[in-house]
Amino acid sequence: MQSRTASPAFLVTTHEENVNKYQMLALNLYFCTTYHKFMRLVAYIVSIGFLLGLAQKTRAQGSIDGFMRGQRKASLAIFGAQETYDTYYINTTETKNPNLGTVTTQTLTVVGTYGLGYDLDLIVSAPYVRTQASAGYFPKQEGFQDVSGTLRWEAYDYKFGKTKLSWEFAVGYSMPMQNYVNDALVAIGRGSQNLDGRTLLHFKAPNFFITGQYGYIRRGQVKLDHIVNTYDPSQLNPNSGLKVNVPDVTELIVRAGIVTKVFNIDAWFQRQTPHSDGTNIGPGIPFPTNAVGFTRVGATAYLRLLKQFGLTAGYNTTLDGRNIGKSTQLNAGVVIGHWTANN
Amino acid sequence: MKARSFSILLSALLLWTVGCKEPIIDEGVLPFIVPTSVDADGGTWRTIILKSATDITVPQPVASTSDTYKHEFSDVKNGVLAATPEQNTAVNYWAAGGVIRWNQIARQLVAKYNIAPGYDYLTGQTTSADAGNPYAGPPFAARVYALLSVAQYDALVVAWRAKYQYNRPSLEQQGIVARVPILNVPSYPSEDAAIAEASCQMLAYFFPNEASWLKAKATEHKQSRLWAGGNVPSDLKAGEDLGATLVTKVIDRAKNDRFTAATDPTNSWQTALSKAPYDQKWKSIELPERAPILPLAGKVKTWYDSTAIVGASPATPPATTSAEFQKALSEVRDLANSRTRDQWRIASYWDNGPSTYSLSGLWNFLVEDLIRQEGQNELRTARTYALLNRAMQDATIASWRTMYTYFVPRPSQIDPTIKTATPIPNAPGYVADRAAVSTAAVAVLACLFPDEATRLNAQATEAALSGLYSGTHFRFDADAGTKLGTVIGQLAVTGAKADGAK
Repeated sequence: MQSRTASPAFLVTTHEENVNKYQMLALNLYFCTTYHKFMRLVAYIVSIGFLLGLAQKTRAQGSIDGFMRGQRKASLAIFGAQETYDTYYINTTETKNPNLGTVTTQTLTVVGTYGLGYDLDLIVSAPYVRTQASAGYFPKQEGFQDVSGTLRWEAYDYKFGKTKLSWEFAVGYSMPMQNYVNDALVAIGRGSQNLDGRTLLHFKAPNFFITGQYGYIRRGQVKLDHIVNTYDPSQLNPNSGLKVNVPDVTELIVRAGIVTKVFNIDAWFQRQTPHSDGTNIGPGIPFPTNAVGFTRVGATAYLRLLKQFGLTAGYNTTLDGRNIGKSTQLNAGVVIGHWTANN
Repeated sequence: MKARSFSILLSALLLWTVGCKEPIIDEGVLPFIVPTSVDADGGTWRTIILKSATDITVPQPVASTSDTYKHEFSDVKNGVLAATPEQNTAVNYWAAGGVIRWNQIARQLVAKYNIAPGYDYLTGQTTSADAGNPYAGPPFAARVYALLSVAQYDALVVAWRAKYQYNRPSLEQQGIVARVPILNVPSYPSEDAAIAEASCQMLAYFFPNEASWLKAKATEHKQSRLWAGGNVPSDLKAGEDLGATLVTKVIDRAKNDRFTAATDPTNSWQTALSKAPYDQKWKSIELPERAPILPLAGKVKTWYDSTAIVGASPATPPATTSAEFQKALSEVRDLANSRTRDQWRIASYWDNGPSTYSLSGLWNFLVEDLIRQEGQNELRTARTYALLNRAMQDATIASWRTMYTYFVPRPSQIDPTIKTATPIPNAPGYVADRAAVSTAAVAVLACLFPDEATRLNAQATEAALSGLYSGTHFRFDADAGTKLGTVIGQLAVTGAKADGAK
């Protein structure tokens, strides 16, 4: 039947995006959430490691840095997050949709980190996501999103007095844990398998750190439930099928903060930019093919209550975006485990 | 050392991921259709718009012994060897089948224009459709496919009659090795030129803003037959002329099929709404509310017996106060609350909302594979599409007529807690046009491709139920649509059996 609403939206916030935010916030522990990207995880992880590390002081001489987990040391973090938006971007233009209302996404993420070596960590995370719109007739979606695994490696470090500069690499892979709906107004993810590669430069002084990282996230093709008719923006492509490309993205994250024995606090900036061509949100356009980008800022705090137990909380917001919700997120979590920096 | 090799490995991986290009998803190389018959009696098949193939006279060609023809022939022969890569690309593209390619083009244009006018959230304005920018919703789309296929079919019947009347031997028989498989029929007039001209003009009638693009496509199509070594220029000219003559007659029919009144400029649907024989009336549940589009599309002229089609109109569905209705409502609610992933997939697959080929276009797409598999020649392909698309347009018309007679609400209007897997069409729900159209389509296809009947029927059943799974239709919408589609499918099948094609 005919007239369908020219409905716009979709805004699936993916987890990757969340993740980023999270990650940051959580100190890395956080890695969070979901994320599709592995590397991202890595990055996160790194960050996390960072924070934690920072939070906890660095180990005495001998340890390479506070961020890495440390050989055979493990930690487990659980984060809950809630993200909302009532405005989203069609390409880069802000819009609202009365048939969508406010979209709320809640996420519970488990992140485990293990030091395979003094300079090599493995980080695994898995999120459970629930997302729903306050208006219209879009059903709530929930389920396990994408599991990811990341290897983080500290390749080099240079010490200058009480400060240290280290250079790290990370590679990650993520894949959906279940066949969730990937092309709906309200969805929990894009459903692609992703490969994430990134490099980090990390500077740490006794009570201060700053980390910059740059990564590339390669996203695989996904299969939709229906045949695509309008994938080609010029609309002159005769090809039809169920498969579409999910655009790759690049990502830049800068994070800086203060670290003491019992707490740390940091602020971060994240920009994700579509690397390959993608579509814009529009009627009939598959959501996974949209070019997604955003700029977000956030802050994270960590408080150590016991030697191997701490709390974390964070906040972040979207400054600008492209084919994504203009969201704000709050999150909190607990961190259990052995941190080298606690020693 | 270990660290160094690891870092090299990591860097290489990083470079690799950044370096690779996004793969291009394309149609791949289509196999050329190897026609299984030439249908030498095609010129006697029953035409649709024309009374018979003799309505259009194709002039006698010059003799193949004449100097004019010899000159044309040697030009083509030399041209085949000198074809450029671009020309070869065009040759291969059109060799996939002229009827199929023009059907694809029609689908692309439908998808491009299939955006309902209405409230635009970005600008806060209500957009409107005009002649240059038509709204290609389901009734419009079904009409495009039907008229295009009919024009192609009639043009080819005329071409086939002339081919066997004049019997100008194919170029292959005269020693040219074509670049692509060419159907072994007399070459005059060119079937490709007839399809190209008829299709291009027919589509330009629906989408006037695309006229120059369509013309360029048609020119390429015609020329491709010279580059391929399939026709000489006089074959093309004769095909083009007959296509042009034929298409004016089809456009005459289009001008008089009452479609232009379907947009209901006087809003007469509101009167119909107040008179509707149903206890609770449909209303737009979009925010903001919007008027339905093309509410009078049910009054458009049908291809098959209109008396029989109107006679098959479904009865009033159970009133909202009845136990039967409450049962249907709770079925939708229960399904919506426990929708499985597979039900979601089915709902999404058959949705065909804005910016798609629309449902009739999806069936046009699906039938391509059957046509290839069967090795249908151009004439038979056109017949398949003409039979299929007329049945689908009639089913669409009949569904629209029913919708705007009863104005039965969608499930979510009665119970707003019913969440849907796909957007809710801004139109009444009874009957489900997806059920009527798919059932009629499959009746025709099962007759043309009997080996596929079981699979096709399963698809039609799935399509009919897809609205129930998505939460946008009651089961009685689908059941009534199926019944309606069955009647129309039968009319089409009867027509197919009597048109002279074996």
